[in-house]
Formats: sequence, C-alpha cells, structure tokens
Amino acid sequence: MSEAILDGIKVVELATYIAGPASGVVLADFGADVVKIESPNRPDPFRGGHRRGSDAPLSEYPYGYIVDNRNKRAVALDIKTEAGRAAFERLIQTADVFITNMPIPTRERLNIGYDDIRTINERIVYASISAFGERGPEAGRPGFDSTALWARTGLMDLVKPGPGSPPARSLPGMGDHPTAMSLFAAIMTGLFRRERTGKGSHVSTSLMANGVWWNGLLTQAMLCGGQVVCRQPRENAANPLHNLYQTRDGRWIHIIFNTNLDRWPELATLLGRPDIGTDPRFENQAAWIENSSALIPILEAAFAERDYAEWVALLDQHRFTYGDIRKVDDIPSDPQMIEGRAIRPIDDPAAGAAYVVDSPIWVEDSEKAAPAMPPELGEHTEEVLRDIGYDDAALAALRAAGAIS
Amino acid sequence: MSGGILDGIRVLDVASFIAAPAAATVMADFGAEVIKVEPVGLGDPLRYSLRGPGYGHSPAHHEWFVDNRNKKGIALNLKSEEGSAVLYRLCETADVFITNMPLGPRERLRIRYEDIGPLNERLIYASVSAYGEEGEEGDRTGFDSTALWARSGMQDLVKPSPDSPPARSLPGMGDHPTAVSLFGSIMLALYRRISTGKGGRVSTSLMANGAWGNALSIQTVLSGGEVAHRPGREKALSAVNNFYETKDGRWFHLIMITGQARFPELVAALGCPEIAQDPRFMTTELRTENAHALIAELDVVFSRLTADEVRNALNAGGFTFGETHQINDVLTDQQFRASGALRENRDPKGGADLVVDTPLFVDGETKVEPVMAPDLGEHTDDILTEAGFSSDEIERMREIKAIE
Repeated sequence: MSEAILDGIKVVELATYIAGPASGVVLADFGADVVKIESPNRPDPFRGGHRRGSDAPLSEYPYGYIVDNRNKRAVALDIKTEAGRAAFERLIQTADVFITNMPIPTRERLNIGYDDIRTINERIVYASISAFGERGPEAGRPGFDSTALWARTGLMDLVKPGPGSPPARSLPGMGDHPTAMSLFAAIMTGLFRRERTGKGSHVSTSLMANGVWWNGLLTQAMLCGGQVVCRQPRENAANPLHNLYQTRDGRWIHIIFNTNLDRWPELATLLGRPDIGTDPRFENQAAWIENSSALIPILEAAFAERDYAEWVALLDQHRFTYGDIRKVDDIPSDPQMIEGRAIRPIDDPAAGAAYVVDSPIWVEDSEKAAPAMPPELGEHTEEVLRDIGYDDAALAALRAAGAIS
Repeated sequence: MSGGILDGIRVLDVASFIAAPAAATVMADFGAEVIKVEPVGLGDPLRYSLRGPGYGHSPAHHEWFVDNRNKKGIALNLKSEEGSAVLYRLCETADVFITNMPLGPRERLRIRYEDIGPLNERLIYASVSAYGEEGEEGDRTGFDSTALWARSGMQDLVKPSPDSPPARSLPGMGDHPTAVSLFGSIMLALYRRISTGKGGRVSTSLMANGAWGNALSIQTVLSGGEVAHRPGREKALSAVNNFYETKDGRWFHLIMITGQARFPELVAALGCPEIAQDPRFMTTELRTENAHALIAELDVVFSRLTADEVRNALNAGGFTFGETHQINDVLTDQQFRASGALRENRDPKGGADLVVDTPLFVDGETKVEPVMAPDLGEHTDDILTEAGFSSDEIERMREIKAIE
C-alpha cells in the first residue's frame, strides 16, 4: 500500500459530541495521527451515549462512538491545571491541525481561541465549528444540529408530509456529519494554503451555515424576491405520477414518471390497470395533472395490491424510475451499501458489528486506514506524552498535579 | 483578483444539475478558474428544470446563481470528434475535472477516467455517482431524493409520527452536502499533488453521503440494535419536551429536560398558571404519567397565543426553547448575514442583494465576489482562443455545431 496522504500530519482534537470529532475521523481515515484530548473528570459526553437512551437508541455497543472516534488516540488531560496546560501547549507546538467545537465563551475560558493557539504555533491550521457562526449577535450561542441546522433554516418547517402536518425532528447526527465534511474540506483548504504560503490559518464552519447551504435553492428563491410553499400532502399531489404510494405491507414507493412518457400504457398495465393507460382523462401528463383527484385514488388502490418487494422487483424489471423508501434495518443486508463502499468491514469483536459507516469520499490508489475501535478515555495518555518528551518523572509530576489520571 | 487560495487552479465542470457543479462553485469561491462545459443546444438541464410545484419561484434564476456563479461557460458537442478534441485540449492544462454523468454517458462521451486520466498526469478526476461506481447498481441513475434521502433510511425515519406518510426532501438538500464532500476529496488530492506531482481519481456518491448523514442510526442496526420510529407529538413521552403550534401557525419546541422545578413559572408565563395547580400535573412524576392529557391542555394554551407572544414570554422567563423557523424568516434573520451564511452580492443579474454562501470559511481570505452564472457558451470564444485555436478553426467548429 502506498503512503497515506496525511501521513505525518498531527491533529489535536479538543471537541465533543459529533460534528468536530467526525471531521477528525475523516483525517484519520487518510492517515493523520489524531490525538483526542478529554478532561479526565469530564470526558466527551458522547461516550456512553449508547447506554443513556433518550433520543438515541440503546445498544450494548458504542455505535456512535465507533463512527465518530475510531482510529484516534486518546489523552486524558486537564488543561485547566498548570502542568496540564504546559503539556497541552507542547502538543500544540508540534501539531499541524487543531480541531474544536467548543462554544466561543468556553474557548475563551480555556484559552484555546485562535489567538491563544497561534501564539504557540503559527503554522497550525485552527479549525472550529460553531452553532450559529463565529461572528454576529449569536456567535457565542450553543446549539445542536437539530436547532441550528434543522430548525433555524426552514428545513424542519418544509420537510413534512403536508402543510398541515406537525414538524418532524431530525435524526441524531444527521446534520453534524455533513457539517464535519465541511470542516474537513476547510482543513484541507488550510493545509493546501500552508503548503503554498507557509502560513497557518483559522478555518471554520457552522451548523447554521450548513443548514442554509442544504436549503440553498429555496433560500435563494426567497432572497431573489420569490415564494416558497410547503408541498401539498400526497392525497392532493399536483402530479400523481411524481408521488408517494403505500404498498400492501405498509411500505412506501415514490413513483417518478417524468421521462419517456410514451411508456404510460406500459406502466398502467404493470400497475394492473391497463384501462387507465388508454383512458382519455389520463392521456398525457397535462391530463393526469388536471385529473389528479381521479387518478390518485386509482393509483393508491393499485399499489395496495402488492407488497413492497414485489413492486421493487417489477419496477426494476421494467426499468421505471422510482424511489424505494428503505428502512434503516434494510441496510445491513444491502449489497450496494457494501459494494458502493458506504459501509466498510471492521474486524474487531468489540464493535459488535461486521461493518462501520465509512466517510463518504475516496481517493483511488490511496487506501484508507483500517477501522480501529475508538480509544478508551486516556488510553494513550502516556504514549502520546512520551512522544513529546515526558519521562517517568515528568509523568509522575503530571499525575501528582491532577493533570492526568 | 489576486491571492485566492486556489489562484491558478483551473477546473473543468463537465457536470449537470447540482451536486457536482456546486463543488466547482466552492472552488471558484476560493479563487479557482472554473470552466463550465455544457452540451450545445439546451445546456445543463438545471437551466430549465426544477420548475414544478415545491421548487420555489422567483423572478431571477436563483438555482442557476447559487450553483454556477463565478464560472466561465463553454458549449461543446462532445458527441463530435471536434468537440471532444477541444475538451481534451482543455484537459491538458486543467488541474481538476469534475463530472457527475452516470457511467453509461461517460463511456459514450469518452470522459471516463480511462479517457481523461492519460491526457495529463497532474489532473485530478473527481466524480459523483448516485449509488457508488462499483457494484450491481454502479451505473444506476438517481437523485438526492432517491439515492441519499430514500435509500439511507432517513426518509422513513424523519416524519412526525410512525403512521405518518413519508416527507419528501427539498430540492438540492442532499446535493449540496454531497458537493462539499467532493470538494473535500479534491482538496485532499491537490494537497497530495504538491508532494507527488501526480493527480488521481477521487469520488463520492449520494448514497454514501446519505449513509454518512444517517450514520448513527445505521451503525446502531449494524451493531445489532434497533431503531424505532419516534412517537407522534400527541403521544410524546414528555409534554415538556415536545412541539406546539401557535395561533398563527408556528411551531415551538419546549425543552425542559434538566429538571422541571420551573414548571409553574413556565405555564404562568404562557398565561395559564392554573395548569400547575391541576392535581394531574402537580409533580414531575404526575406530568409524565399524564403526559397525553397535559399535551392536550398545552395545545389549547398555544393555540390562543401568537408566535411573538410565545417567543417574548419564553425569552423573558429565560426558558430554553426551539422555534421552527420558516423560510421567509431568511429575509430578516440578522445572524444569517452577520455570520456569513449569506454573503453580499453586487451583480444585478443575481436578482438579490445576498447570495447563499458556501459553508466553509478561511479567516483573512475574502471569497471571490459573486458574479452571475454564465449564459450558455458565453465564454466559448475566449476560452478557445486562449487554448490556441485560431479564429478560422473556431468559425469552422461553430458551423458544424461542435461548439456554440
């Protein structure tokens, strides 16, 4: 195997939960040495999330921690102690990248703002994630992807079955992971610039800006003086052949019939209603849009005649375009998820899984690091500190000062 | 313009719709020269599609502005030998080649990696596919609504209640984050090229970005766990961690999860102190036990108040709450501007004073000033002249419709 792209790049991560740590995982995938610093007394609250329940499901395996902290080394270090601060600064001196998603007031309290870090190492790429941006009246405000990315940007208000429906909550980490990719891309931009200019930089992203970016087309429509309306519910869909239908076993098919429209009689036959293929009320796209209130109930009844799997097989066989609304439980047995490299084998019984969700980018002829389980709290404290020159006596002094456990 | 991080980097955007062109837009923001290569005739379908209900309407061409601003445009007929030769010549001096054509058209248009890679060993070939480029579905076409949203389980899980029909994704909602993934992979390869001198092949897929977005739920089932649909709001497990609709149709999320000592203050702030005296709701335990009854009471309370009244009352009391913002709030949201999520635009062709910015920032680097996306073939002559074609050659290619 060829040398990993980020071989020799040292990353210090002082981040919690998902968006910050997940960008560290992508760097680790491509060979960076990522050292995650946690407080010995207050580790990343995301540890143990699989045992707490609430919004996230319970599991005996740390599924979330595997996704967002695999392939890292962990140091438990209290940077609020004088000795701990000195060790932290020594780590920063030799680091290429620093990642944090602490809110700005916390960064100030811990003296880990850009100016603090730059003073220690001017070549460092300082990468930060905030909830609502690093500037402006709400710069210091904490938030999660559910609030800053999903609720703030109109996504939550618009992604629902119909205008009269209550809103739907986002899924755990659903906004954090793409935000992590933005930070990763910003870090690579910073590293690229450093190669060209020799200078470090402060790169950043925010949950809110990512939400605006996701919703960019409708947002720009508003900014251009336009209008955006919530889609009608499926019973009143404008185009019956670009709509959702429920199958006999209660699953959903999104039929998208908007090309090769001359195949309409063929589709009608496939749906068990050859008569509607020749019915003048539905003779072309304009007609079925105009008579949608007559066509939708017919299609509802037709789709209710067969189970989901039968429809998928039939539509595939006849090469019609549709969205198969999969359940998350379908994924472990979905061969394309494996062959298409969305999930990757992990060879460690501690994972409790044969596969781990992969970072969504690939560079051919550069193999990603094999997935390794996330470290225990402080698992590599000694190893990492010895790397930067701490000997037995110095480690003992740190321990005595309560800087490490 | 000078000094952009990607100054001197030349990008060929041989792509359509959203996910791949938007990656080139990010590069243009940081100073790259982006040439958008479109088919002669109609050009990129994004020029004329996304017109139905649910897509948003404006007097300007807002989608085109967001995803193709700051590019030069050339129109080529890649089905002709001459058009193909022009593209290949452009590849000789380009740094990045971006496409999201499905594998079939890539083969027909001779723009596979095998066709493009040998032209320039420093070139980075960056591609987006629907379901990955390997496996049985490697050549299958798809949109973010199908490959990212429906395939990953997100569409099945993001709904108001287990028995609710699914909700469709918004236009471009999955394409834009996928574009940032592609941009990240391109920067990784550009970084590598500095030390190796070699380009290479990078990629992402809509499906993999869907899996990445839904990674926590997916890893749960991969680890043998179960992911259940969340109950609808009427049947929520807690009335004080739930959604309520105001008289004027806005949704608020009450979030009282660290303790309920202030429950009497909360209901007093909402103008119904008597609820705290109701024997069914006197303690935290009773409020959990009688959650559904309390939800029904709070539904009535919220239905009598406007959003402004609720917001003011909760803010004045120092309560934590979420508010489901509406898309038209974008026009007055100061933080969107102040934080850089939206950026000032001076090009009147954009049709707006602000443009949705790419969601990553480098301090001290001013992104390139927004310029409206090109008309079809707007820069064909300039680009060809610069590439060394004579005016006679250009004229002849135009006659045979190899260029436009």
